[in-house]
Amino acid sequence: MTWTRRKFSHVAGASLAALAARPARSENRARVVVVGGGIAGATVAKYLATSSARPEVTLVEPKQRYTTCFFSNLYLAGTRSLESLTHGYEALAGRYGINIVHDVAKTIDPVAKTVALGGGGKLSYDRAVVAPGIAFKYGTIEGYDEAAAQIIPHAWNAGAQTELLRRQLESMDDGGVFVIVAPPNPFRCPPGPYERASLVAYYFKQFKPRSKILILDAKDTFFEQDLFEDGWRRHYPGMIEWLPAQFTDGIKSVDVKTRKIKTGGETFSASVANIIPAQIAGELAQRAGLADQTGWCPINPITFESNLHSGIHVIGDATNAGDMPKSAFVANSQAKACAFAIASALTGSEEIPPHLFNTCFTFLAPSDAVSDAINMKPSGGAIKITDIFFSQVGESDEARRQAAHQANGWYAAFTHDVFG
Amino acid sequence: MPASLFTALVIATGFFTLSADGALAADHERDTQLAAMCTSCHRLDGRDRGIPSIIGMDQQAFIEAMAAFKSGARSSSIMHAVALQLSDTEIAVLAAYLGARAMEGKR
Repeated sequence: MTWTRRKFSHVAGASLAALAARPARSENRARVVVVGGGIAGATVAKYLATSSARPEVTLVEPKQRYTTCFFSNLYLAGTRSLESLTHGYEALAGRYGINIVHDVAKTIDPVAKTVALGGGGKLSYDRAVVAPGIAFKYGTIEGYDEAAAQIIPHAWNAGAQTELLRRQLESMDDGGVFVIVAPPNPFRCPPGPYERASLVAYYFKQFKPRSKILILDAKDTFFEQDLFEDGWRRHYPGMIEWLPAQFTDGIKSVDVKTRKIKTGGETFSASVANIIPAQIAGELAQRAGLADQTGWCPINPITFESNLHSGIHVIGDATNAGDMPKSAFVANSQAKACAFAIASALTGSEEIPPHLFNTCFTFLAPSDAVSDAINMKPSGGAIKITDIFFSQVGESDEARRQAAHQANGWYAAFTHDVFG
Repeated sequence: MPASLFTALVIATGFFTLSADGALAADHERDTQLAAMCTSCHRLDGRDRGIPSIIGMDQQAFIEAMAAFKSGARSSSIMHAVALQLSDTEIAVLAAYLGARAMEGKR
């Protein structure tokens, strides 16, 4: 019986696979070009390729492999390798038949419906999806530009930048001061800078216990502030100091040679610094005219089609999506909504209103994690939060340990959903 | 319509969509689109680590679990939020779809 069932499953599986692999007549299949192979881009490519619309999906991404920004603070803590946070595109190509083009998208012609590639070619599309992530507003802090970031990392795109920061933290003497400059809203990963302070403190506590961490913030409050401040008191008493904008009068300039950071008031000397600049939508969004005066991309909250160019959808951190935070989870949630909306448009089938959701796991220490859970829905041209829940100060150590265990399980399942 | 009949209908519909019959594509889309909300945290091949597996569950047990998350009788802020988003019909569709994933997961 078992053999028969297995045999049947294999046959059924094989015929389904054959069905999936059999290309419909090329001229009948819609072409979707996805630009950007991060969380949003990879997710939308996969969900489009498996949708009933069966479009030809091309994913344009210069990098061979993608390292996730989320969980990269655990690499700074020394508890995860960067390799464990790095994912390839083999499954997207092999399992779902997505055409992966490792090139840069230079620009998009919304009238001719073509994407121009750095290598010289052009890709025609019926629909384009742009997921360019973030770019940095260099120049808002005097002295901090792209060249300066090679000396004082932002480490807000994971990979070489994160490695640079880790090396600097490793070579810092015990008793040093690590300064994090936190950006103004809106920015990628609202809890990220404060999780970074927590997990670098975890590293310092073990190896450089006399060291201090100073956060110079462009804001006066931050996400999950009560949870962080409670965690800092419990795990790293006296090690982390947070200075809001009202105290510093803003971060004005940096001298990369001396690592001196000048605020409206005092000037601070860093042993190691991490400057996370103000952000806008990724460069392609700016070049293709998909961003408005805010620097972010306005979108239709149901389909994620650009409000500025029809036929082009924008998803992920680059969007101005109302109340939706810029998180990997949101990028994945938007990508699915967008894929289903495009599939409906291509097949003419009924559109099902999207379920938009976010959860973020945040580590106060490797075995102390907290989470949030946010429901959102399209409402009057925007996206509004309908329910929001947070972990609470005072939860048991066991509850936090379980959340950390869950968080690691979530990472595996989530990256499988995106890249697997 | 009695719940059992509705459930049976959902299972039947779910099965026939595997034939990629265009007439039933809408139902197929509905369950895969709903399940896409789950797959941001749960795997559909049963290889979860640290996160409970949700495939191959008894449908009634799934429906009761979601009701408990929705009411707060079972504590989990994440699942409470997810349950609040889903209507009873959507939960029934997911119960059938995810319940039917068991065999594939064990293959």
